[in-house]
Amino acid sequence: MKTFLTAAALMASATTAFAHYGMIIPSDNMPGQEDGRTVDLTLSFSHPFEGVGMVLDTPVAFSVTHEGETTDLLDTLNETQVMDHAAFATEYRMERPGTYVFAMEPQPYWEPEEDAFITHFTKTYVSAYGDDEGWDTELGLKTEIVPLSKPFALWEGNVFQGIVKLDGEAVPYAEVEVEYYNEDGSAQAPSDLMITQTVKADADGVFTYAAPTSGWWGFAALNTAEEPMQYEGEDKAHELGAVIWVHFEPWATK
Amino acid sequence: MGHQVIRAFTIALTIVAALPAAAHDLRVFASVADDTVTVESTFSSGRVPTEGAVRVLDAENTLLMTLEIGAEGMTRFALPEGAENSGLMIEVEVSEGHSDYWMLTPDDIAYGQKTDGTN
Repeated sequence: MKTFLTAAALMASATTAFAHYGMIIPSDNMPGQEDGRTVDLTLSFSHPFEGVGMVLDTPVAFSVTHEGETTDLLDTLNETQVMDHAAFATEYRMERPGTYVFAMEPQPYWEPEEDAFITHFTKTYVSAYGDDEGWDTELGLKTEIVPLSKPFALWEGNVFQGIVKLDGEAVPYAEVEVEYYNEDGSAQAPSDLMITQTVKADADGVFTYAAPTSGWWGFAALNTAEEPMQYEGEDKAHELGAVIWVHFEPWATK
Repeated sequence: MGHQVIRAFTIALTIVAALPAAAHDLRVFASVADDTVTVESTFSSGRVPTEGAVRVLDAENTLLMTLEIGAEGMTRFALPEGAENSGLMIEVEVSEGHSDYWMLTPDDIAYGQKTDGTN
């Protein structure tokens, strides 16, 4: 009986639905002028703490915004693999100092376990050559986390704050899932509850999270679209995620 | 491109680069279009310095010229002969503690000449 229960528990564990994250990870989020003029970007879809990948189909849109100008980068994407699943990569030349905001709108992802479609509007901010101008840029995406903390140049332990927006309006008490990109698999969660942490925004849509360690952290604010999507002739819920990836730096001493 | 070129260029200019590291409230950027170098000097607040010195050095740390910051924080000068091969170090000093630099690498210059600096 005990053996049976253990096996059942293992099966349940294997099918537990952890948080999905669209991902845009740059090779460097604060390159100095001595570090070259290009940044590599990797676009994927995954459960980042567990290192479990999912297929990322060709995005609907991928762009960079700098000094108020948005450039379409969709044609620059090359196929690659992340966590053994289809993903995309590109290289981008940053001409001038300032903040470059890279944003992806993926195709809606049908998730049978949740009986819903998922679309994660995903972005990350890169500060080029020591200039942080534009760090609080709002792109005007369908749903978006607008940073209140600079989304780079953060020490581990600092808080990150943002406003959750949907159709340009703050979302009171929005739920924000937070997950660490456990790239080398070294991080261990003492409980499944620690794989994806959840915070809620306040009445003004502002949420706060303090990262316990350095590395990439993904913040996903989740809302449901007013319009359902069709799957095999039936209306299905459409989860709209506003995702931002933020890097926290290790405390450094001489 | 460019990382190895920039690193080599950085090593050649280590002494110069060590000079202006203190204050980061002045921001300097330089680009090339055709054979003209444009240096942009701004404070992090968005304001532009009203006066200051722009020093142009080659990869051997030889001072090639000293110019004044112009209107809107812009300074322009003709690309010195041979700079496309060696690069330039451009230092801007507004006042004590307000200085910054930009390394214009051979790759930067080649790219600017190829694209007219508009891309």
